Amino acid sequence: MSCELVLKERTGIINPIYTCQPAGAQFAGIGIKDCIPLVHGGQGCSMFVRLLFAQHFKENFDIASSSLHESAAVFGGSIRVEEAVETLIVRYPHLRIIPIITTCSTETIGDDIEGIIRKVNKKIEEKHPDRDVKLIAVHTPSYSGSQVTGYDNAISAIVKALAKKDEPSEKLNIFTGWVNPGDVSEIKHVLSEMQVDGNILMDTETFDAPIMPDKSAFAYGNTTIEEIVDSANAIGSIALSRYEGANAAKYLTDKFGVPSIVTPTPIGINNTDIFLENISKLTGKPIPESLIIERGKAIDAIVDLAHMFFANKKVAIFGNPDLVFGLAQFCLECELEPVLLLLGDDNTLYKIDPRLKALEEKANCDIKTIWNADLWELESRVKDKSIDIDLILGHSKGRYIAIDNDIPMVRVGFPTFDRAGLWKYPVIGYKGAEWLAETIANTIFASMESKHDREWIINVW
Amino acid sequence: MKEKIEEVTALIQEQCLWQFFSRSWDREENIEGIMTMTGKILNGDKINLVTPVDKAFYSDAKFLAADIQKKMPWISELDKSGILELVEGVKNRLLYITVKKSRNCELNLSNY
Amino acid sequence: MPLKLFCCDECIPERQNHVYVKEEGEDTTQFLPLSNIETIPGSLSERGCSYCGAKLVIGGVIKDCIQMIHGPVGCAYDTWHTKRYPSDNDNFQLKYIWSSDTKEKHIIFGAEKQLKKAIKEAFKEFPEIKRMFVYTTCTTALIGDNPKAVCREIEEELGDVDIFVVECPGFAGVSQSKGHHELNIGWMRDKVGTLEPEITSKYTINVIGDYNIQGDTYVLQKYLDKMGIQVIAHFTGNVTYDQLRCMHRAKLNVVNCARSAGYIANELKRVYDIPRMDVDTWGFEYVKVALRKIGAFFGLEDKAEEVISEEVAKYEGKLAWYKERLKGKQICIWTGGPRLWHWTKALEDDLGMEVVAMSSKFGHQEDFEKVIARGRVGTIYIDDGNELEFFEVLESIHTDLILTGPRVGDLVKKLHIPYINGHAYHNGPYMGFEGAVNMARDMYNAIYSPMWSLAGKDPRVVDSPMWSLAGKDPSVVQEL
Repeated sequence: MSCELVLKERTGIINPIYTCQPAGAQFAGIGIKDCIPLVHGGQGCSMFVRLLFAQHFKENFDIASSSLHESAAVFGGSIRVEEAVETLIVRYPHLRIIPIITTCSTETIGDDIEGIIRKVNKKIEEKHPDRDVKLIAVHTPSYSGSQVTGYDNAISAIVKALAKKDEPSEKLNIFTGWVNPGDVSEIKHVLSEMQVDGNILMDTETFDAPIMPDKSAFAYGNTTIEEIVDSANAIGSIALSRYEGANAAKYLTDKFGVPSIVTPTPIGINNTDIFLENISKLTGKPIPESLIIERGKAIDAIVDLAHMFFANKKVAIFGNPDLVFGLAQFCLECELEPVLLLLGDDNTLYKIDPRLKALEEKANCDIKTIWNADLWELESRVKDKSIDIDLILGHSKGRYIAIDNDIPMVRVGFPTFDRAGLWKYPVIGYKGAEWLAETIANTIFASMESKHDREWIINVW
Repeated sequence: MKEKIEEVTALIQEQCLWQFFSRSWDREENIEGIMTMTGKILNGDKINLVTPVDKAFYSDAKFLAADIQKKMPWISELDKSGILELVEGVKNRLLYITVKKSRNCELNLSNY
Repeated sequence: MPLKLFCCDECIPERQNHVYVKEEGEDTTQFLPLSNIETIPGSLSERGCSYCGAKLVIGGVIKDCIQMIHGPVGCAYDTWHTKRYPSDNDNFQLKYIWSSDTKEKHIIFGAEKQLKKAIKEAFKEFPEIKRMFVYTTCTTALIGDNPKAVCREIEEELGDVDIFVVECPGFAGVSQSKGHHELNIGWMRDKVGTLEPEITSKYTINVIGDYNIQGDTYVLQKYLDKMGIQVIAHFTGNVTYDQLRCMHRAKLNVVNCARSAGYIANELKRVYDIPRMDVDTWGFEYVKVALRKIGAFFGLEDKAEEVISEEVAKYEGKLAWYKERLKGKQICIWTGGPRLWHWTKALEDDLGMEVVAMSSKFGHQEDFEKVIARGRVGTIYIDDGNELEFFEVLESIHTDLILTGPRVGDLVKKLHIPYINGHAYHNGPYMGFEGAVNMARDMYNAIYSPMWSLAGKDPRVVDSPMWSLAGKDPSVVQEL
């Protein structure tokens, strides 16, 4: 079976799969404790992204804007950054770190962020000697890359700025990539079962904030500056996403000799096996029986479903690249046919992604991967019947393809604003595989029922 | 009369959007047109609506006159000259608040 | 001192000029907050950008257009699936967004060719669509592209398409408001008067500044249909591109949102002598006034009264039920601008509620003149309020509900305060008589949710019978 990678032929975008770089950088930033990212650009560049996060998480995240106006567009915007930092420092006494995230406008104007930071640092020293606030330049012009590279750039910039060699620790760095809090919980669970002390970048588990009787809780990121500093002293690093955080892991290897592994995103049984093996490899800790039991439960759940309901069903998948590749591999494990994969940006590294080869070797169908793709690539194929899709795996921006063409769709990735609470569940790990298989099954069942399509099969399942 | 003028002015301030159009000239035109028309209605004068603008003034004035009659029983006791005095007084108060002493910096921009 | 400086603003004392607390006997000649001026960087302002005002608020509502965003992909992504304005053609405008996908190489060499290709492709992929809006964004404005020239070329080449270009880079102006202005003035300049409508009634109007949020336009259209009035164009709820080109043929402009669309009403008055009539289409009592005024303009008073009595009969009982339960409730309105003055008095008169604090993102001083004239004494009026100020407001007053956006709603729920979506509504429409009832119902449901009392309860400190069993006779079974 073939696995073909082709570039979208059209020039423009109709219904994008990704948004632009600053959004990814902002997502990385909100994962840090005592941090308010500052977006240097027009107000929409942060306002819309805050809205997007709120759509997905139903939570508020603080992100500041330098509020670039016309004068700055003409004379440069450095004064806006200076003022913004000063205002933030004074008004937010707990604030300890401000990633300064550039956008297309301020990169086009050519504002010298590093220069501004040097200047502002001096000012802070003079005006606020009691404060230690890290300012970190994150270059994310919206006209390059996508939300994916934006996230990666931000993680790299933050680690490069903060990581510092000190006493070696027993901790294992985990670069999660752009995952959900549910995935972070699963990572922590796996590490805990393996008795490994993890250093999670970024720990977003606290995005799931409670409403407390004393009104004290708000959503926040939970990775501390100290943890990022200490990443240089870890026993090793595992990056779960090739395109989101692997560069930071590589930097720690090159600069501080922290061994690193870019593991295939642990979606599905086999990829999770590899993840556990890699944890073992770096820490020397064995894989405990408890995880083998979880593995067995997931396999049991999949076995119940795969041959009866999943086999020969054609799947289209879109989303962040590591998620898409991981889901495609998972599909092959449970007999689904991932016939169409859509990657939403023009990253040339996709051509050499080892997972393409791995997919080709195991493929149960011809797989077409379109890069620099948009959602019209999927919709137009569905509409002109050049492809017959039984299931869509992707985020909520593709919902109308499913709705208007009566195709069952499992929401996965970011954003999933049209389903309640999905971000609290993992797709990675054995538990993620189980959740994915059962959610796919239940979605197919609901579709069979609403279409009266052999829904009686489920009577005696 | 001063109290009556204040009472009607307060009613208009709270109810009517026409006193807050975008520019001074719009506000002046509305205050003059609508208040004059309101006076005519209250006085039972014959009203001849020629231009679309007259009709628009009439629509707002009709509503305002009815509201005044409903909420301010003393209005029926005013004679024609009393009504005119009231109307002129209210015009001046509205012009004072929404044009002359308005702190709205956009009122005198030349374009919309 | 009626202008108020919040404690959190001590380092940005200029904020004092943006916050006003009304006192007895004061009017707007004494105090009027500054507004529509530069945002303070880093203040966590709620404001958006000019592009947002043009595309998301006004242009994106039009139901039969390709919406081409000329710039990097993010601006397109951001204004897609972020609004609730349906249409009667299966919501085409909600489903699609187009981007010219400007990349780094175009920053150096210009993005006009890229735009041209993207536009032609878009028309090719959607052969039934012949109309297009093109929006410039920060980058494509900075590099000096001339999208208008590109679009004229394409119009000539394709023959049957019509394209409107809005220059609305995000850095222009200080908020969404600049984008409203650009789109209004541009549309008037380039498109109004370029097509003649089919006139089916002696009575013709434009409804200006209603964006069919959750079906608002349908409600207004129903009333106007019953009165025999032809709406040439709704600016821009459930409207077609070509209907908007015919706006010059209306005899009256009925304006609801004077902030986002007052400009085009003013221009239609200046150029075509079409009178502008401002109304409130929210609020049970206000809608009566609006219909009566429109009726008076056309000599259709009887028709207006018929509609009013029919609708009032249907809904006044329901409204009264909610009023009984909502009266005395204190609320905040933290929205864009105009809804402050549309709603404050309406909620007070219709439902007996008290609006205790209001914040506007992009209102101008005109909006503050209106809201201070209509609003209560003791109420806090804020221009461009930010998060810390909101927290401070909530410490200083009691509020039962906040009408605001979902993100701020997500924040205040942690403080056990419900919100109702003041932009896109919870379950609208909110305009018209039925809308006033819908809004009352949503506020009632939010305020009276059993969750709020549970949220405030800590089971550890409640003196419950089960609790008191601890350490006592284990054989006791107590039924609750």
